[in-house]
Amino acid sequence: MMLIPCPFCGHRNESEFAYGGPVKPDRPEPHETGDEDWVEWLTTVPNPLGPVEERWWHVKGCGTWLTIWRDTRTHEIVEGPGDAG
Amino acid sequence: MGYDASFERLPINACFDLKGSESALGEWMGAELLPGFPTEANRCCKADGLSLDHVGPCRWLLQADIDREAELNAALRPHAAPAEASIVRISDTMTTFRVAGADAAHVLAIGCPLDLHDTAFPEDAVSFTEFFGHKALVRRCAGGFDVSVEQSFGDMTEDCLARALR
Repeated sequence: MMLIPCPFCGHRNESEFAYGGPVKPDRPEPHETGDEDWVEWLTTVPNPLGPVEERWWHVKGCGTWLTIWRDTRTHEIVEGPGDAG
Repeated sequence: MGYDASFERLPINACFDLKGSESALGEWMGAELLPGFPTEANRCCKADGLSLDHVGPCRWLLQADIDREAELNAALRPHAAPAEASIVRISDTMTTFRVAGADAAHVLAIGCPLDLHDTAFPEDAVSFTEFFGHKALVRRCAGGFDVSVEQSFGDMTEDCLARALR
């Protein structure tokens, strides 16, 4: 079980949150990028072995959306929201 | 071995969901109506039978006895609130249970992941969290805790509490 740092509530149990998926790179301009890059952005979900940037929603708490860096090997939160308590 | 605790379903409170900045809400409602804005997250301010709970960024719950609902509704004027402030009467959307007794914190710990120790959850603490899998508002009361859940989960929560106390 993870303790996720919420900027409003402080560290809270993972069960209070909903997973919002990994943060994707910025959307490329479709008319200015090649098919390969466009399909890569559209269909490939970041899934590194190591830290990944993710969005989480404190749905059963204060309702804040937050971004963390989580190590997929250990579930350690290596970087939380800047102003998390 | 059972727990030294009991629970009861409380009558509904007057409850208003306030969203917006402190300045926008204060300007609309007038400082004299509110008990004051809590300075910390997940804390409440109480005065004159009113409780103002800071439950999220730019979000507060204003609670009082149900007898005062009409009076508060007239003072808050939700229908005429400016775009910078949202005021919604939600009195009938929550069902509240009072869990009291020496083991009240142990009973809550069965369904709630919050750290309810005095040092982490003092007398004026109030927070949305999880209770038996559903979103719930938890606060301290004399001798225990008040847990409010969405009205439609009231019977299920009552069943869970009854089983926890066996």
